[in-house]
Amino acid sequence: MNAPGLDRELKKGSAELLILSLVEDQPRHGYDLSKLIETRSGGRLTFRVASLYPLLYRLEKRGWIQGRWIEKAGQRRRRYYRLTPAGAKVLEAQRHTWREFVDAISRITGVEHA
Amino acid sequence: MPEWPRAINEEMRQHLDDEYAALRGRGLSHDDAMRVLAGDVDAAASLRRRPVDSLTADVRYGLRTLRNGPGFTAGVVLTLALGIGATTAVFSVVDAVMLRPFPYADMERIVGVAEATRAGQTISIAWPNFVDWRAQNQVFEALGVYRAMVVNLTGGAQPERLIASLASADVFRALQIPPIVGRTFTADEDKPGASRIAVVSERLWRSHFNADARIVGKAVVLDGQSHTIVGVMPAGLRFPSRLTDVWLPLGLFVPTFPVDRGAHPGLFAIAKVKPGVTLERASADMDTIARRLEQQYPLNNTDHTVSVVPYYEQIVQNVRPALLMLMGAVGFVLLIGCANLANLLLARAEGRQRELAIREALGATRWRLFQQLLTESVLMAVGGGALGVLFAWWGVRAFVASRPSTVPRIDLVAVDLRVLTFALVVSIVTGLAFGLAPALRASAIDLVASMREAHGARGAGGRLRSMLVVSEVALAIVLLTGAGLTMRTFAALAAVDLGFDPSRVVTMRVALPNARYPDVARWIAFHRELATRAAAIPGVDAAGLDSAVALEGGGSESEVRYEGQPPPQSVHDDATMCLFQAVTADYFRAMGVALVRGRAFADHDTADSARVAVIEEALARRFFGDADPIGKRIAFEFTGHGPAAQPIWREVVGVVGHVRHYGIAREPDIMEVYAPLEQLPIYFRDRRPNMTLFVRTPLDPAYLASSVRGVVSRIDADIPVFSVQPMREYVALATEQPRLNMTLLVLFAALALALASVGIYGVLSYVVRRRSHEIGIRLALGATRADVLRLVVGHGMALAAAGIAIGLAAAWSVTQLLRGLLFGVSPHDPATFAAIAALLAVVALAASYLPGRRATRVDPVETLRAE
Repeated sequence: MNAPGLDRELKKGSAELLILSLVEDQPRHGYDLSKLIETRSGGRLTFRVASLYPLLYRLEKRGWIQGRWIEKAGQRRRRYYRLTPAGAKVLEAQRHTWREFVDAISRITGVEHA
Repeated sequence: MPEWPRAINEEMRQHLDDEYAALRGRGLSHDDAMRVLAGDVDAAASLRRRPVDSLTADVRYGLRTLRNGPGFTAGVVLTLALGIGATTAVFSVVDAVMLRPFPYADMERIVGVAEATRAGQTISIAWPNFVDWRAQNQVFEALGVYRAMVVNLTGGAQPERLIASLASADVFRALQIPPIVGRTFTADEDKPGASRIAVVSERLWRSHFNADARIVGKAVVLDGQSHTIVGVMPAGLRFPSRLTDVWLPLGLFVPTFPVDRGAHPGLFAIAKVKPGVTLERASADMDTIARRLEQQYPLNNTDHTVSVVPYYEQIVQNVRPALLMLMGAVGFVLLIGCANLANLLLARAEGRQRELAIREALGATRWRLFQQLLTESVLMAVGGGALGVLFAWWGVRAFVASRPSTVPRIDLVAVDLRVLTFALVVSIVTGLAFGLAPALRASAIDLVASMREAHGARGAGGRLRSMLVVSEVALAIVLLTGAGLTMRTFAALAAVDLGFDPSRVVTMRVALPNARYPDVARWIAFHRELATRAAAIPGVDAAGLDSAVALEGGGSESEVRYEGQPPPQSVHDDATMCLFQAVTADYFRAMGVALVRGRAFADHDTADSARVAVIEEALARRFFGDADPIGKRIAFEFTGHGPAAQPIWREVVGVVGHVRHYGIAREPDIMEVYAPLEQLPIYFRDRRPNMTLFVRTPLDPAYLASSVRGVVSRIDADIPVFSVQPMREYVALATEQPRLNMTLLVLFAALALALASVGIYGVLSYVVRRRSHEIGIRLALGATRADVLRLVVGHGMALAAAGIAIGLAAAWSVTQLLRGLLFGVSPHDPATFAAIAALLAVVALAASYLPGRRATRVDPVETLRAE
């Protein structure tokens, strides 16, 4: 991929896409998110603490996700993030873009979607 | 659970707790787990430092970052200080010499006017020609004429010699610089027979008259005659030279000027053109007059025209090429420095990717990061600039203290507000220049990749860095070639045979006023006595006097003929010109001039004996071929004018080697002829030269001077001895500009070479670091250490070769511009080009070898384990 701008936007966008997808079904806390990304990507993607939380805060500031402190009996409180309606729309749009992108790449490279 | 820094918020602390627990769960010890988490803890803790969006915050943040890497910062600031300091120092000289406004009103309308041959050689003006110019021209509102002279100031404790200028009233009208006390001359005072008045310099006024505000009307004794002071000129008037101490009305001396249009008694003119008159029109008008005079006086005025040159040009033309060259050189040094720093910053930006990624993740835009990075480089540049100004101040002080006399307005050179402003602007521009590319690149960080701390080379960055190094090398080649050529020039000048031996020769001057020695015989007797008594001073090997001084470029010239030569049809018909000099018997011995044939002058060559001459070898060959010149007759003095002129024959008694009179590099086709002082050339009878005493002695010049002063005062107590100088100083002066050019250019080129080699070293170290993984694998797969060394050094040499090739091509065209500053070497001297290329290749090899060595020490096992 020779256009650094596109590359950058894609990866940045993909990080957002990952987070939004993971909080779509149920609210999750940060550590949970980082573990899910690591295990589901087979260890190919990792988010360190200093990059994950700033990203979460940014998404929250944009109104795409919302964090709430949840107290559970016998445990300490944790901050869970859930998808907002605005976030759902962004997620839908990003998924669409991503699919089109992957599709386009596959047509060119001949690599079949696994 | 471990205690996390308080700066980390609760949510992230929890995350760290979870990580820690997971690591312990996998069997890691507390210490190992903490080691794994250390990076995350630091990064998370640093998130709290969220800067305000403003320049102040950027500056504060930048300063903190710079403080955290003191070695890096010091290196950058020092590089900048050298580059900006050199640029500032050279600029301060350029500013003082060329840019600073002149104190004269309407400088752009002031022109220097002189006679000139149509071949383009400027000569002094024949008085009758000047009178015609003044009467006939339509273009000047003032046309003044002046002539330098030396006067003796008496009446104080010791007689003193002052540099004076005969100036017509129009000189002051042309320059329009008001006196600080009193007035300048009126037209009535600028006439033959007017009473004797003088205008003095501010310096003389302060040193001799205590800055007396009521000086007007007081008397000063010059050359034994009382002059009434009418005004004081400010120090800003540097006309004709900054050393001029007194101005006398030229009109008074007009009766002493030859009425012959063939005589050029050292007169030059300064004029102010009328408003709206262009230089071209002024030149054309004067040329019309010159053509008219040519028709009227074909004998003397044939092929003579008038040169009209802006006065500004006259002042700066001799130094401009050298100054522009030096300005260019420091510009190159600064550029090389910038390339180096850009490289350094690129490397550093990669080390800072995590920091930047975090800031971007926190919401900082690319633009903000870019601003932040640029602020840091400008901060460093301004710091470097401040230190550079200090360097410049030292350099300029040393330069001015060395009193280079060939640089006009040198006393105005200073690191002042103008120069400081320049330094600030250069610093900021420099900071932007070297910071731009790295800031652009670094702010375009790749968020996810840097969060993953991915390995892998960034091709584009490597290319940019390589390009920077190649251009550094190319720039250094250009500078080095220039420096090499100036070195060759200086060596060629030093190798020139001067025709005399300057070691252990001390010179000093005496000026006998005509008024005090109206009689030629007494004038000659004084000098004969001086030569005899000076030779008798204990410790003196030989002493002689000459009417001219070698290397000084002045003297009296005339046509010279040999007996039997067909008389020329016009004076310009293949006339051989000679520089004729009157010398005492021991002059040749004192100066160490080689006697080739015959004899030098002797005490028996008197006013009554047969007239004799000593000529230089080249003249003997031109006139007499292989025949023996001794006993042949030549003439350079003529009575009467034109075809009716009668030669005064002199018999050639000796032949001497050629003495360089017109400087070391310049060699006009003018032959040297010597006459004994006792048989004073007729042209000297009315206009006596100031004689110079040459003493060959191992004695200290100052000690010798006091002995000679004693000798002179016993002959005549009112005659000052001045300009005591070892002959070596004349040689040094003649080579001053080439030496300055060489010294400064070599200095700058050395700086460039050092920076370029650091550049190569830096980029290769980076490459080795980036490729250590690959190198480890190569080693593991059986590559030898020599292979690895070859790989790295080869990379470095490839960069150097590209830079050398580009640099040589660029130097080929740039050195053309130096042509006027070179002597004895072509701007495309192959030896210099080859030597410089070889020098850079060697330096590049050394700079590549060190990182290469480091690469061979990569441990393949370690590399693979890191995988």
